[in-house]
Amino acid sequence: MKRTNEEPLPREDSHERMKDELRQLNLKIDSIIELNKQMLSLQREFLRILDKNREPSHSSGIGAVPDAVALLSLPTSLRKTMFALYKFEEATAEDLSHETKRLRAVESASANQLARMGYLEKKRVGRKVYFCIKNSFKEY
Amino acid sequence: MGKVISVHSSRGGTGKTIIAVSLAMALLKKGFRVSLLDFDFRAPSLFNIFGDVVKVPVEYWINDFLNERCKKEQVLIDVTGSPGVDSKLLIGLANPSVYAVQDMMAKTRGWEASALKKLYSLRSFLLKNLNMDYVILDTSPGIQYSSINAIITSDLLIIVTTSDPLDIEGVRSMLREFYDLFEKRTLVLLNKVFPEMELLHEQENTELIKQLETLGHPIVGAIPCYCDVLRAKRDYSFSLRNPTHPFIRKLEEVAGKLVNY
Repeated sequence: MKRTNEEPLPREDSHERMKDELRQLNLKIDSIIELNKQMLSLQREFLRILDKNREPSHSSGIGAVPDAVALLSLPTSLRKTMFALYKFEEATAEDLSHETKRLRAVESASANQLARMGYLEKKRVGRKVYFCIKNSFKEY
Repeated sequence: MGKVISVHSSRGGTGKTIIAVSLAMALLKKGFRVSLLDFDFRAPSLFNIFGDVVKVPVEYWINDFLNERCKKEQVLIDVTGSPGVDSKLLIGLANPSVYAVQDMMAKTRGWEASALKKLYSLRSFLLKNLNMDYVILDTSPGIQYSSINAIITSDLLIIVTTSDPLDIEGVRSMLREFYDLFEKRTLVLLNKVFPEMELLHEQENTELIKQLETLGHPIVGAIPCYCDVLRAKRDYSFSLRNPTHPFIRKLEEVAGKLVNY
């Protein structure tokens, strides 16, 4: 005899059906956990690639090529040296002092500070020390 | 050695471009070698102003040099010998296409840092290799990276303002928080002064000048607003067609003063 929807299932059938639904639910949860694991793994890989290709951060000002805003956030004394250095390919503290009209020792201290901050590169040629702004682009 | 001059303003609509072009023409008339570059990448207009004398299509824009698509000498268009241009005039144009404007608006700080260094190398090339006497940079109003870069590389900064109190207050606050950080020689140029203020209410005008003087930088000139200048065809030859126009004469006076700075 055909049962209507309203009629309750026999007790055993009802248990069986609940068990079956729970099994299916468990399977679905397992599959969601598995998908979640895969997504996390992909996300980690994506972040790793992104991090590898990311431009240096300028907000920290450390080890980065300084942009205009980074320059403006520098103390006046360092900014002056930086502006002067932009006019040269590379310069000694003596060259910088001619440009800024400040003492050589002041320029030397400023340039060394900027080199420590990662804005400048420093190289020794014989007895002279040359400073230059880090290059991050193709030179034409 | 030559000078790089940036023409800038705190807000738009002050007449920077027409002033930059007219100054360039006035300096040319004095026999100087001049270069005029469009650094207003958001609203480029030199392309239209020099449209009659520039070969189309333009091969390279300043954008291309900054984007490392060409050499610096390739963006300089020599318009010497065009009608009325007897001295050396090199122009560099910003790309006016929507795509290029969008592209320039989406640049990263790293790119801007490279652009600043490139701009210094362009400066050096123009002044040392090409012996230009003046390089004039027409910039975007307000605080934009391209404008900051242009100002940093300049020797002299001309801030254009109208007599609108909002403009003057904008200049005052920009001087305090922005321009003065550059420690550049800075001149203020008042543009679009109401002619009736100049002619009928000299007292008011004097008050205005006094107010501008509190900015702490020299006022290099006050130019009245002329309807015929606003109505005229916007091309480089306005000064050639109207050599005796008071607007042109005033700017020639300003150009004469620039030689002393």
